[in-house]
Amino acid sequence: MVTIAPAAPVQAGAAAPGNTGRQSRIKRNLSGYAFLIGAIACFALFMWYPMIRGFVMSFQRTRRGETTWVGWDNYIRILDDPSFWIAWKNTFYFTGLALVVGFVVPFFVALLLNEFRHAKGYLRVLVYLPVMLPPASALYLFKYYAYDPSEAGLFNAVLKSLNLPTSEWMQSPAMTIPAMVLASTWMNMGGAVLIYLASLQNIPGELYEAAELDGAGLWKRIWHVTIPQTRLILALLAMMQIVATMQLFVEPLILANGAGTQDSATSVAYLIYQHGFFQNDLNGAAALGVIMLGVLAVFSGFYLRLTTRNES
Amino acid sequence: MTRTLISSTQLKRSRVRYWTLLAVVVTVFTLVFIGPLYWMVTGALKSAQEVAQTPPTLFPRDPDLSNYTAAWEQLNLAKLLFNTFYYAAGAVVFQLIFDTAAAYALSKLRPAFGNVVLGAMLATLMIPAMVLIVPQYQTVISLPVIDVSLLDSPFAIWLPMVANAFNIFLLKRFFDSIPEELMQAAFVDGASPLRTLWSIILPMSRPILGVVSIFAVTAVWKDFLWPLLVMPHPETRTVSVGIYTFAGGIPQNVVIAASVIAALPTVIIFLIFQRNIMSGLTSGSLKG
Amino acid sequence: MYRKVAALSLVAGLGLSLTACSTKSDDSGTTADGKVTITVDCQPNAAQKELLDNWNADVTEFQKQNPDITIKSISVGQQCNNPPDFTARLAGGTTADVFYGYMTDLQQVLDSGQALDVTPYANKDNVPTWDSIDPALTSVFTDAGKIYAVPVKNYSMGLVYNKTLFAKAGLDANNPPKTWAEVRDAAKKIAATGDGVSGYSEYSAGNTGGWHFTSLLYSQGGTILSEDGKKAAFNGPEGKQVLQNLKDMRYGDNSMGARQLLQWGDLLTNAAAGKVGMFVGAPDTTQAIVSQFQGKYEDWAMAPLPGQDGPAKGTLGGGEGYFFKKDLTPEQVKAGLKWIAYQKLTPGKGQFDYARAKPQNYPVGLPQPLLFANGSEAQKQELELRKANANIDTANFQLFEATPVPIKGEPRDAQAIYAVLDSAMSGVLTDPKANVDTLLKTAEDKVNQLLAAGS
Repeated sequence: MVTIAPAAPVQAGAAAPGNTGRQSRIKRNLSGYAFLIGAIACFALFMWYPMIRGFVMSFQRTRRGETTWVGWDNYIRILDDPSFWIAWKNTFYFTGLALVVGFVVPFFVALLLNEFRHAKGYLRVLVYLPVMLPPASALYLFKYYAYDPSEAGLFNAVLKSLNLPTSEWMQSPAMTIPAMVLASTWMNMGGAVLIYLASLQNIPGELYEAAELDGAGLWKRIWHVTIPQTRLILALLAMMQIVATMQLFVEPLILANGAGTQDSATSVAYLIYQHGFFQNDLNGAAALGVIMLGVLAVFSGFYLRLTTRNES
Repeated sequence: MTRTLISSTQLKRSRVRYWTLLAVVVTVFTLVFIGPLYWMVTGALKSAQEVAQTPPTLFPRDPDLSNYTAAWEQLNLAKLLFNTFYYAAGAVVFQLIFDTAAAYALSKLRPAFGNVVLGAMLATLMIPAMVLIVPQYQTVISLPVIDVSLLDSPFAIWLPMVANAFNIFLLKRFFDSIPEELMQAAFVDGASPLRTLWSIILPMSRPILGVVSIFAVTAVWKDFLWPLLVMPHPETRTVSVGIYTFAGGIPQNVVIAASVIAALPTVIIFLIFQRNIMSGLTSGSLKG
Repeated sequence: MYRKVAALSLVAGLGLSLTACSTKSDDSGTTADGKVTITVDCQPNAAQKELLDNWNADVTEFQKQNPDITIKSISVGQQCNNPPDFTARLAGGTTADVFYGYMTDLQQVLDSGQALDVTPYANKDNVPTWDSIDPALTSVFTDAGKIYAVPVKNYSMGLVYNKTLFAKAGLDANNPPKTWAEVRDAAKKIAATGDGVSGYSEYSAGNTGGWHFTSLLYSQGGTILSEDGKKAAFNGPEGKQVLQNLKDMRYGDNSMGARQLLQWGDLLTNAAAGKVGMFVGAPDTTQAIVSQFQGKYEDWAMAPLPGQDGPAKGTLGGGEGYFFKKDLTPEQVKAGLKWIAYQKLTPGKGQFDYARAKPQNYPVGLPQPLLFANGSEAQKQELELRKANANIDTANFQLFEATPVPIKGEPRDAQAIYAVLDSAMSGVLTDPKANVDTLLKTAEDKVNQLLAAGS
């Protein structure tokens, strides 16, 4: 067996010229790609190739096994669909509301939990528990019990016992999206809370002490110490949450039987599903996917500029 | 205990307020997070008439397990749960093998164009799953070149799970933090890359491997649309999809009973391993 | 070292090669000794225990009579063609050899290129009762002169009502409402008995809302599409009347209950729990109420669909059939036809084995499935057997059967159109301020767009 020069595996491209150097470089590359091949194959098959294919499909039309190029037809058809704009409106509304609720609430929950010296483990488990439920389980719980529009429903019974007005929940167009945000936040906030908690624990205690000596009150300390110290993670999570919520799908599908009352629950993702798997229009669905990608790209661009500008 | 937002001395001064607040929070959180689960478990013990009753009953009048047994039999829950476990276990294995190998290569072996490969992988993080659902589905129906359909095959879940840039990134970052000297020493001793990975890197990486495994299991357990599409045969469905496809045609209480049963395995696993899972999730995902 | 690298790449490649093995289908169907194997879907699921037992007994008996044929049954879940699964199976070519579909599925099946033209085989030799089948039904499964499926069920809708609730509300159960105005009156009285009972209940989700809208529209004399099938035609006085009637009942009288956005199982769950006075449905909904949702037969009776000022001008009819996968051998097609003939189209056997069904929790005597043409030999036999073995009070369906209403089929692209019409239905049932004209206009635009896209 050949002994490899100690420096070789460390510095790529820095190997000494000559026979042994080239040999070891080739070997390193060979073994490197041998380790990579499985992951590369999967990425190629299920990520890179579908990306191109989706783009190509959006300019084609397949009928009875025959595929033809149709230019912008699919896009025109998708834009003509009256549900298209409603779906975007609903999706943005959901994303916005989910950001306000699902982003701010976990932050304050984490802040609160971090201050307790007791029962912390118990509370953490509680918050994370719904994350472990399969989404269908949690959503049927909301659909059949919590959001039952009659007074036999859990939420309505609670509201009524508190003498508050009851709601028709998913049946009321105005409540559809807030109700979906509520269910979705309940189901998913555990993950965000844990990440916030971890980043809160990384804040050096001296900063708070210094702020306190400067006479900063509770809110001032949150504003001047906690938020700046966790800014990076906050920005990252916000971005991840936006990308996730833009793909709103299971909530309308199960809670609202798809479109909800008068299209109040129709989301862009649901529209993709409708076109692709109900209307026998995979090409239209692919076009819708490309549009969604475009919107997210533009949005991410803005977001990046915004966050980097703040930094400088 | 490090200093947090509020200092310990201040907390000691306002003992009463601290305990009141803690009591309130514990009560509210218990109600908010356990309450619905309690409602679910007991609701499925009620008859359809009792559920529709106003005001609802806090305890089932005559608890009856028949909804649970009906759910178990009619939905073939044993099979659905087995499928989901099987997919989850396979996903863990595939991810651990291929993603670890890839991260190891990118971090330690660093072949030519390694950074390009990493970049191309990370770029997929910016693509929402929904955008790719149609072409991915088309790919699964007929794999390019070899024209094999993966429909109803567990590989339709396992292989796409490997294409997970986030996990590769996590693993790579962790491997990056392992000192080069250890690697070099191993190479000097004549160990092959595989051997180095196996006997040096992996034993040091248990926490991050745990985190990746948890992510894989949760991802399979929570995924919905993908298995709905690629597992159309009732014998291959996951538990979430199985409940969904049956929900329209069985009484609501049976759906809820099935939902409870479907949630039990993960909840139990979580409660048993919660300490490890919690610490793994928080430390692993951030510092890794 | 190289050996290990090679071993690793082998492992890496293994994943792909394994899949290649695992998905190859196991049997080509016909073996050298003339044995034929076919897979057939829509086997009843475990929620319908007796139906499942009957099906399995039929398979055993059929295989005994035809030792060369093996039937592999596949249960595909609650609805035999739950749209996303059905689409996936069609697109991926993973349907059963002989697969179930609605009458409205023909276009989609043809688009997928998965169906076989069975015209050469569809005759008396393989299906003894072939000539007795109502030609209107086979024509639904015919495209350009070619037959693609064999009909196995046909239904039309009427007014299903709960006699017990009628009695409780002081209504005459033998004289059910004949017009929508009478339905409204009766619904009001039934709802007034309290206890969360809705007088009349209606769907508005999961495509079932659009499906029922179509039926209600037919009762008014309207149609969903124009003659040539290229434009929506429901946005007219008839369509408006349909929604107005519902709106009046829902918000004028508050007689439709608080729970809306119902789909198939939701309404039947409520009905089985005794919370629904009337709804529109086919005769076999009573079967589902009893066998799947734990209701009681004695409660239910059925009348013809009401009309606006007199009898309904039409009602919705629909049905189901079995398609054949494109790559079947002639032997497999013949075997499949024989099985369908035995299980679905022979009086006294399979679904018509009334003697077997009589003691079961399964109704005999329903005016269904209406497969055979009027006056045909098979129809006579079926009717006699049905009468002889009836286990329900056929008087409950007497009115429905004795007063035939002209049957109209479903529009093309039915499921997609129903999805659109769901939102008109949900609008009028969940929004007291909903504007009927706007709802219909929106739906019309969407359907026109959808029709333009599909052609």
